[in-house]
Amino acid sequence: MLAESRSRMVDASIDERRRIERDLHDGAQQRLVALAMDLGMARERMESDPDSARELVDEAHEEAKRALAELRDLVRGIHPAVLTDRGLDAAVSALAGRSQAPVTVSCDVPGRLPEAIESTAYFVVAEGLTNVAKHSRARHAYVNLRLSDAVLCVEIADDGVGGADPAGGSGLRGLGDRVAAVDGSLVLERTAAGRTVLRAEIPCAS
Amino acid sequence: MRVVIAEDSGLLRQGLVRLLGDSGFEVVAEAGDGPGLVDAVNRHRPDVCVVDVRMPPTHRDEGLRAALAARSLVPGLPVVILSQYVEERYAGELLESGPEGVGYLLKDRVADVGDFVDALRRVAGGGTVLDPEVVAQLLARRRRDDPLDTLTPREREVIGLMAEGRSNVHIARSLVVTDGAVEKHVRNIFGKLGLPASDSDHRRVLAVLAYLRD
Repeated sequence: MLAESRSRMVDASIDERRRIERDLHDGAQQRLVALAMDLGMARERMESDPDSARELVDEAHEEAKRALAELRDLVRGIHPAVLTDRGLDAAVSALAGRSQAPVTVSCDVPGRLPEAIESTAYFVVAEGLTNVAKHSRARHAYVNLRLSDAVLCVEIADDGVGGADPAGGSGLRGLGDRVAAVDGSLVLERTAAGRTVLRAEIPCAS
Repeated sequence: MRVVIAEDSGLLRQGLVRLLGDSGFEVVAEAGDGPGLVDAVNRHRPDVCVVDVRMPPTHRDEGLRAALAARSLVPGLPVVILSQYVEERYAGELLESGPEGVGYLLKDRVADVGDFVDALRRVAGGGTVLDPEVVAQLLARRRRDDPLDTLTPREREVIGLMAEGRSNVHIARSLVVTDGAVEKHVRNIFGKLGLPASDSDHRRVLAVLAYLRD
């Protein structure tokens, strides 16, 4: 069981590297090619047709800014700098700040935890909020992190229509493997009040 | 206007020196790390500093820390922090060092030379400049029964631009409305949020930021 999840973890990390390669190739790399072409053409036309040269330079400028924005999103998805610098509370608050639906965050985790645990907890919240945005038509989401009895409990709840299924969704299964890799557990449940709750419990031996 | 630049990437430092030189600034010193920045500030007392967040040795937030150290050495020292990512938490730490004469912008903004130079001038003049991405994060934070939810879409646009540090005149121009209309929106916003009215553009900005960060 554990071996199976570990091997899925390795597959997931290969998949992840493929995804990054594809994103770089389809995104920033293509934009930089387009930008270099625009600049090359602008240089050719500088003397003969300055107006169209100016238009090309404008386009190249826009392409450069879009490439920067794409690279930033991609890098943040691999590992957010604010998590390393300031820890879970700051990184999760930043995630909440970028979410479409309003999110209320409560974080009761004193000090810093081991890097692997912080990173796993962060991606649980990231995936949880992505699911809320994608499936649930939620009006409001709640993120709750607390550390008690050396267990970090991470909960993402929403008031939407549900629809996420850990067996069906590859995102949630990948996440379950990720949590299992730090000896934690992940459950998705529907409360009597109709809320969907994604909960990870991760032991933090200190 | 005299500037100190702290940026460890040689390529970007050269670019900034050229851009600022072309725009009528005088770059009096370039630093490649935190202690270099504090040293240059001490020696040159510049009108404004441009500082990259990530610098050696650990490439985390040395730039921010050095800027805070420089500001405690020279109170009110105008500083513009540039970063590959903008996060509300860092903005908060910077604003806590005194909200006047600070700017916090995505590095990409340098590409819009006119806006960037304008931001530097406003910070040098004691203004506060926040990146629209940070403002979006501030506006997204919610509390129970949040009075922000009572703002109209137009009022949200206005409060967003105020939080970026924009004057009423600028807000009127970018929303293509009259100055009078902006003043009315601002009065409504302050009324709904229960903030004391103020005539000065800058004091309004500070009141809005204090409210959003509370």
